[in-house]
This record gives sequence, C-alpha cells and structure tokens, in this order.
Amino acid sequence: MDEKDIIAACLKDEPGASQRLVEAYGPLVLAVAVNILGNREDAEDVFQETFLRVFRNLARYDPGRSFKTWLLAITYRRALDMIRRKGRFSRFVVRAGAAAQAAPAARPEPVAADPPPLPSHLLSRLSPKERTALCLWANEGYAAADIAEVLRCSAATARVHLFNARRKIKLLLEKAHGVLQNS
Amino acid sequence: MASCRIVDLLYAAVPLRPFRDLLIRTHVEKCARCQARLASRSEAEALFVKPADLGTTEELGRKFALRAGKERPGAAAKSAPFPRRWEWAAGAAALLLTAAASFWLLRGLGPEGRGPGFVEPADRFEINHISVGGAPAQAYVYRPQDSDMIIVWAEKSPG
Repeated sequence: MDEKDIIAACLKDEPGASQRLVEAYGPLVLAVAVNILGNREDAEDVFQETFLRVFRNLARYDPGRSFKTWLLAITYRRALDMIRRKGRFSRFVVRAGAAAQAAPAARPEPVAADPPPLPSHLLSRLSPKERTALCLWANEGYAAADIAEVLRCSAATARVHLFNARRKIKLLLEKAHGVLQNS
Repeated sequence: MASCRIVDLLYAAVPLRPFRDLLIRTHVEKCARCQARLASRSEAEALFVKPADLGTTEELGRKFALRAGKERPGAAAKSAPFPRRWEWAAGAAALLLTAAASFWLLRGLGPEGRGPGFVEPADRFEINHISVGGAPAQAYVYRPQDSDMIIVWAEKSPG
C-alpha cells in the first residue's frame, strides 16, 4: 500500500488505516524529533503531538505536495514548541534557584541494558533551525527548497542555515580531532 | 584563494540572508576550497540518529492510539481564529479595560450612586426674597464644595 492509498484510507476512516500511517512514518518522525531535541523523552511527546495534529488536519493536506515534507514540517513546529516550553521552564527553575533534584520522578526510570541512541553532543552548538536543516540534508538528502518547506522559510534562508551548520560542525570536528590527537 | 577570503569577509560583514545566499550560490557551491571547509554529508550523517537506530515504534503507536481514541482523520479541526493563549490575553485585556472605565466613570459618585452636585434635602438652602433699600436686590448664593458654609452676596439693582 503506497502513501496515497494510506492517506485515502485514513480520510475514509477505514479500520487500521491510521495505525498503518503511524507504522509507516513513525520511525522517521521519532528520529527527526530526537535529532532536533537531543533526547528521547521529549521526542516521544513530539511524536504523539505530531500525529495528533496530522490526523486532525489530514483533510487539509494538499496531495500536490510531498506528504513526507508536510509531516516533517509539523514535526519541526512541534519540536520548536517543545524547545520554547522547556526553555521557559528551565529559566524559571534557574531563577527560582531550584536544586537539581526536584520532585521525584512520576515513574521510575527503567534500567536499560543498551542506552537509547542519541545524536552527537556537537549538535547542541547549532540552533534548532541549523540542526534541522543539517539533519534533513544529511539523513534525507533534502535540497534547500525542500528544507525551506519544512522550516517554512525561503530557499535562500534555508541555504544559509545549512551553510552555517556545515561550517560550524566542520570547525567543531576539527577541534575535537585536534584535541584527540594532542591527548 | 583571495576570492575565498573576500567571500568570507563579505559573508561576515553583511548579515543579510539574500546576500549571503548569493555568495553561497555564486562562489561557495562551486569552489572546492570552500567546500573542503564545510562538513561533508558523511561527516554530518555520523552525528545524527537514523530511523533504523531507534528500533520499533510499536509501543509509541499503541500509546498514540490510546490517546487519540476515536480521532477522526477526516474531520476538520475546530480551528479557533487565535491560539488559546491569545484568547486568554484578550479576555484579560477586556476585563482590565472594563475595570478602568468603570473606575473612571464611577469615581465621582458618593454613597447610593449620587453625583457630586447632589444635595440632601435637609441641606438645601432657600432664600425667597432679598431686598436692599426697599427694592429687590440682585442676589448671588455661593456654596463651596464639601463645606457647610453658604455665602450670600446681595447688591442693589441698578436703575
């Protein structure tokens, strides 16, 4: 079943159609969210919010556009919202002088044999837009025009974000390599 | 090499995205030296997590199905004209305006909603007739606000 068939089935509210859509695109959405946010917990929240929004707005989806790009644009917006929410909360915590051990966790952290894969810490030196542009270029092979659709900016702006990201990462890699060589 | 330096200088000096895009398209993308100073696709790829690395999202899909419930994909969203936080802000602003307007309008009223010009019947001052030299006089009555004093000025009518 290809993408158009799945979407048509979802719009007709056929049983199991929405599950097929989530199975088909879930890993992609989760991977992009993890790469933007840097942690799996927030990425899973973004995963849920993205698909909720996708199903609410599926009737408005323009079949002339790439569904994957449309989906990733929603993922990116949800991830940005998460960053803003967390940023406000982090600033509040710092101002209030809260200790690192706040309220006990609602659920105990499971002891995992293999820690979940996370993106490189070097990516934290990039802005969310630069990180997204670089992720889409590297992982999905997106060109500037496609990145612009996801970031909802012009192709020129997307190209500049990508250039800045590639340049910063190159410098960071060279610095890290230099540190390794010296040690 | 000199052109690369010039491009670097211009890129740093002019923080306009369309201009920077022009520099990228006309020089950086075509210059091997400049390309060597950027992370390659394979270098960038190594930094990111791929969908295959994350395993199955079945569990997440189940959680989503529980959360979505009977979410109908075809239904149009109840799209509010503004996001919820703007509704709250607009409501709070309207309340503040109403409070300010009420305060401004009602600040002059005394007890029982009466204006400053209102005088209790018991405090009313009446003069029926003033005459000076056997002839009706011109009389002026003045009562300062918030005072029990009443000043009456009478003068002989001309003519």
